[in-house]
Amino acid sequence: MSKDQSDHSRDDITPKIAPKVDRRSFLKGAATGAAALAVNPGAQAQEPSAYQASFTAPSYQQLQRDTGMVAPPTSGRTVVRPGSDLMVQALKDMGIEFVASNNGSSFEGIQESIANYGSPPNHMPEYITALHEESSVDMANGYAKAEGRPMAAMLHGTLGIQHASMSIFQAYHTGTPMILIVGRDESFIQAHTADDMAAMCRSFTKWDAQPKTLPECIDALHEAYRQAVTPPTGPTVIVIDMELQKEEARDFVVPPFRPAEIGGVDHATARDIAKALFDASNPRLNTGMFRTPEGGQAAVQLAELIGASTSTTATGGPMGFPQRHPLCGPGADTTNDYVLGLETDSPNISLQRPAVTSLTAKRDVMGIGFGSLREDYVPSPPGSEPTPQEQNQKQSQGTVLTVDAEASIPLIIAELSKLMTPAKLREIDERKASHARANREAFLTDLRAAVEEKKRGWDLSPVSTARIYAELWPLIMNGDWCLASPSNFSGAHHRELWEHNKPYSFLGSQGAGGMGYGLGASAGAALAARGRGRFVVNIQCDGDFNYAPGALWTACHHELPMLSIMHNNRAWHQEFMFIQYLAGVRGRGTDRGHIGTVLRDPFIDYSKIAQGYGMASEGPIEDPTLLAAALKRGVESVKNGKPYLIDVLTQPR
Amino acid sequence: MRKHVFGTIVLLMGLYATPAAAQLGPVNGDAEAGAQLYYDHGCYACHGFSGYGRKDLNNTGSPWLTNEEIFRAFLRARADVAPLLPSTDMPNYPANSLSDAMVRDIYAYVRSMPDNRPETADVPALRNILEAAEQRQYKP
Repeated sequence: MSKDQSDHSRDDITPKIAPKVDRRSFLKGAATGAAALAVNPGAQAQEPSAYQASFTAPSYQQLQRDTGMVAPPTSGRTVVRPGSDLMVQALKDMGIEFVASNNGSSFEGIQESIANYGSPPNHMPEYITALHEESSVDMANGYAKAEGRPMAAMLHGTLGIQHASMSIFQAYHTGTPMILIVGRDESFIQAHTADDMAAMCRSFTKWDAQPKTLPECIDALHEAYRQAVTPPTGPTVIVIDMELQKEEARDFVVPPFRPAEIGGVDHATARDIAKALFDASNPRLNTGMFRTPEGGQAAVQLAELIGASTSTTATGGPMGFPQRHPLCGPGADTTNDYVLGLETDSPNISLQRPAVTSLTAKRDVMGIGFGSLREDYVPSPPGSEPTPQEQNQKQSQGTVLTVDAEASIPLIIAELSKLMTPAKLREIDERKASHARANREAFLTDLRAAVEEKKRGWDLSPVSTARIYAELWPLIMNGDWCLASPSNFSGAHHRELWEHNKPYSFLGSQGAGGMGYGLGASAGAALAARGRGRFVVNIQCDGDFNYAPGALWTACHHELPMLSIMHNNRAWHQEFMFIQYLAGVRGRGTDRGHIGTVLRDPFIDYSKIAQGYGMASEGPIEDPTLLAAALKRGVESVKNGKPYLIDVLTQPR
Repeated sequence: MRKHVFGTIVLLMGLYATPAAAQLGPVNGDAEAGAQLYYDHGCYACHGFSGYGRKDLNNTGSPWLTNEEIFRAFLRARADVAPLLPSTDMPNYPANSLSDAMVRDIYAYVRSMPDNRPETADVPALRNILEAAEQRQYKP
């Protein structure tokens, strides 16, 4: 239970001994003094003041308001069932577990309803206090990557959207489903509102709405969910006016939530694919990232039914085929006569859910937003010879059907089951056994080679990044863990040393390469982990940390099972290398590459920062022989419900 | 210029053959001074503070480390290679940035780097990783 769910009585929060001077006491004192002056003007005559003439004694109402002893002004209506209660009910019906937010006046109606509506209140959804909107959305990103379904974040008007925009952009880039609720209050602070609020992030969100009535608002919340989870998945926005949040709902009943219907291949195609798999003497499945955990489970069923060796992307991101499944690997025979691609390419046929076209090659590059996002390589101009890269890509790619693989697999399994015979089942059993032997040996061979590789600089100081991953793995390998942070800047050693068997084993990269993501996303993954007996690891780059460190406080406040290990190389090393290279080719001195690229003079003490946010921590650890014990303490702390941070001084990469 | 430098490297490589077969050249610089230069000129960014990084230097058998001349020529080889995109490749180190004497010192430091690689059996964590992987059965 987080601190926000504790059942405090009024006595618990009332100080037994009055503080010397708190703000409320201070204001009361000031007001009392002013009132005395108003009642007895003669009292001030003894100490004339140059400003005295401009004072006007406060009215009784002013005094009440300014001292906080006044109820909100009575409106012309009595609200028994505020609209925001119904909005929260809709979130409950959709299974939204958490709403992360840095509070804002424009959604105070919904925030109050989360806090007080329902039994128990502040549960499904629970309000998660974030210190920055970027963190709120990163949390939603990490949660959805781990669970394969959305949570919500609330943003305060124009300001909240702008604070959150980088995180929304990254979520768009990874196609992460999430619901962004933007509060709108056109009568409060003009700078915080706009007629078309969602316009600020429309180019990198999938869908948005600004309902005008309460029934429209509930419909829009439902549709926001369906749009977010339907391929192409991504963030959706609903702008909700304060008036709707506070209006009386009377007898309006929240209609039942109708989940999204995501279709798969048609029956004829399912039959054709099943027949091809059945007829093949050595079929293979190439698998990518599925939409939800159910996709990976379905792929396992299909692989086991047909005895196909299978590839995985589980070491690169979430929702993949389990890495140590006996059928996962190159298989006993790599000459495959039929390859089915499931969310990835295949030389024969592949099923890939629709992607936003502007995230693919050959996109429009004329504008900012979805149409302008670029791939890694520049395609050849029209009419020119294809590049070798394009040639290879074309050769490796067979027919691509734009359809959701996860929804298609059950149909293929159903057709395949109809074809099975005892003889075929015996053949498949033999194939499975030989694949399992070969895959096990292949995994162990690769692991032995990786261990040799990771020993480089094992005993050196600063600590090698490989040693962090290697020392940590034995401490968590038998538990239910999730590596939530990107790993590309810390060597990604887990890919070779760890075993990624769960849909959430590794949550992949930032998306658009934007910094500041790791801590928030890890906190979001830890929200998913809390209550599920799961344990989140965050190998945290120092440069990334400093954008939004407040997520540490959120982790403490909500008691999230998150172990953060600093990859503290005291620089933005990629940029350091860029400058170093450019200085070298320009021939103007190579000893000033550090300017603007290093974090020294002074060094940053991450352990102290963590402690400041209330998190148990230690470090900086420079001696590699001290690392294992520190990691053990960290793991124990997190298992006991206390997030922990270990600052480790590391080699650059 | 670039052709000339690479021509020189190729010529030198021909003289010394491959490092496995060749005798490593003498060390004439000051390794301690070289360590400071290694830091000041950012070598550590890619090669690590002790020669382990994206590109190892420790006892790797790299032909570019055969002797001081080849090492120096290699550092100066990219004077006219200026790609438009940001690069984390090996930078160029012209003479006005690193003098021949400074190159000799860095070479001495690089040659002094130990090959720090323990036996797997001596490292509990690594031993544990291998043993557990061999024993573990997949469970959904």
